[in-house]
Amino acid sequence: MSANGTITQTLREAAAQVLSEEKVGVVIGYGRDDGQEFSTPVFLRKAEEVKRLVFDDLCFGNLAVYLPRPEIRKMGKTGIVVKGCDLRAVNVLLRENVIKREDVLLIGVRCGGVGQPQLPKCSVCELHDPGGCDVVVGEAIEQQEVKAEQRYTEAGKIEAKPAEHRWEFWQKQLSKCIRCYACRQVCPLCYCKRCIIEKSTPQWVQTSPHLRGNLAWNVTRALHLTGRCVGCGECERVCPMDIPLGAINQKMAKVVDERFGFRSGFSAQEEAPFTTFSTEDSEEGIL
Amino acid sequence: MGEQKLYQASANWLKSAVDALCAAGIEVLAPTQSESGKVDLARVTSSEQVIQSYPNTAFPLKRLFLPMSEVLLEYEKGEEGDVELGPKSAPAKELVILGCRPCDAAALEMLDKVFQWDYSDVPYQEKRDRTTVVSLACSEPSPECFCTSVGGSPQGSEQSDVLVFGGANSAALMQINTAKGEKFIERLADTVTPAPEGTKLPEPTELEQKFDPQKVKGWLDENFESNFWVENSLGCLGCGTCSYLCPTCHCFDIVDEASWNRGQRRRNWDCCSFALFTLHASGHNPRPDQAARYRQRLMHKFKVFPERFGRVACVGCGRCLKNCAVGQNLLADLADIESR
Repeated sequence: MSANGTITQTLREAAAQVLSEEKVGVVIGYGRDDGQEFSTPVFLRKAEEVKRLVFDDLCFGNLAVYLPRPEIRKMGKTGIVVKGCDLRAVNVLLRENVIKREDVLLIGVRCGGVGQPQLPKCSVCELHDPGGCDVVVGEAIEQQEVKAEQRYTEAGKIEAKPAEHRWEFWQKQLSKCIRCYACRQVCPLCYCKRCIIEKSTPQWVQTSPHLRGNLAWNVTRALHLTGRCVGCGECERVCPMDIPLGAINQKMAKVVDERFGFRSGFSAQEEAPFTTFSTEDSEEGIL
Repeated sequence: MGEQKLYQASANWLKSAVDALCAAGIEVLAPTQSESGKVDLARVTSSEQVIQSYPNTAFPLKRLFLPMSEVLLEYEKGEEGDVELGPKSAPAKELVILGCRPCDAAALEMLDKVFQWDYSDVPYQEKRDRTTVVSLACSEPSPECFCTSVGGSPQGSEQSDVLVFGGANSAALMQINTAKGEKFIERLADTVTPAPEGTKLPEPTELEQKFDPQKVKGWLDENFESNFWVENSLGCLGCGTCSYLCPTCHCFDIVDEASWNRGQRRRNWDCCSFALFTLHASGHNPRPDQAARYRQRLMHKFKVFPERFGRVACVGCGRCLKNCAVGQNLLADLADIESR
């Protein structure tokens, strides 16, 4: 039996209740499609549809990406199934006033981790139990202590290389980028109505998928997510070219953690370094 | 071609072909495996780099003829005000593609139709003319495959100069379809021999037909406005993965990249799933939401393209449904349409 084997039934009951009581207009959760290797998003409008809902080890997606979308918002209040890692993204959306708390109903799942084998992010998960949700389903899971050095291992592996090797490594990786923007589209925090990459008067970032353009795009993406990214790993999962985007995000998160003692998405009320001013801030470089 | 020309070769034909062609100084693309496990056609210089057993390559052939980014022209202004234009075209070198699958070869027909339509696209055609396509018939289609639903076959020979049966674990049989194919066989010298008279091609690999494109088109003809488009695109995130991995999607954008005294005009891939794709300078967008953009993608492939060119713009490779971030399943959507 998988770590998440028993949640489906209670999840369906919870979803059926909020739908039948008309507390929400839609519940966004995960369903199974036999043709797919992972559990895919489903959008339920009626209580009788809840049999389509599942929660298993293959619920990778961060459904928070759908919360700012106009076609979802016009369905009414949004019920959404969130794992702890997804909740962190919801917290950032709340913190940044993209969504209002009263417009969402959070159905938290106590998640023991996803992936077979389990994803690296799950082995250092600090939010098995998503706090602050309206409904929580699943058995309590013992929260293991996670040490600071365990959080940034992917970034650490690359930092350990000499500078010229790192440059060589990233040139090789970023040369592969085909500019499909799957990383941006899947990111709950890339919600800009018009991305800077799409601003063409003037053209700030070259759209051509040559190394120059790809570097500009990927550095832009990394900087715009610095101090905001919650490390859900969706960008890296969906990249059709296998670019290790998670390592870039981790590096940025590490810098923010070290300089400001801040980790994004643990609360909707948190004061983020880039939106607060403090004379205590260190002034090393641009971060 | 009237009489079918068949040759036979050893199970190791792919490696022998790579070595023979490389020794003759010909550029060769053959299946290789990357560190992350992806199989793709890559330039090889020795048969040691080549793998012989794989379901399909991660990427289709499109980018070899319509590169992701291609310099159409470049210029540099001299101090005297003189302008030098480029790129200077080098004589096209012969290229042989080894080991693509029949669906990917068949997709070249759709690209040919577009790029030779009312105007023969020079950069595309140059690359097409210099290339010989040697495909490998499928004996074990993958779960996402549906070539038989869109007029193809696991052993289809469309646009393949040579179609190879078997290999890897058994002797190979080569079906020669074009003059380019004959030239390829000549280069392999004594590693191939004419198949004995009466040699038959292997029995076709079975692959169930999963929908009927005619029925799908019948519904599309009547349902430009339908709630289907909204409901079935709710999950779509609007990235370009499906289009960019599609063997037949061919939309592009033309951009100028310039500095003070020099610049380039490039043709880059573009995608109808992007919000910017149809955004007008006025701010109006005729495809204002993902539902409209998703409809465009399906309509173009299964209604507009057949009306204009006589066949659907899909070869059933299944890359779109296999690689979609949220599991948008084209096959399930088409089956859904057919059942309506």
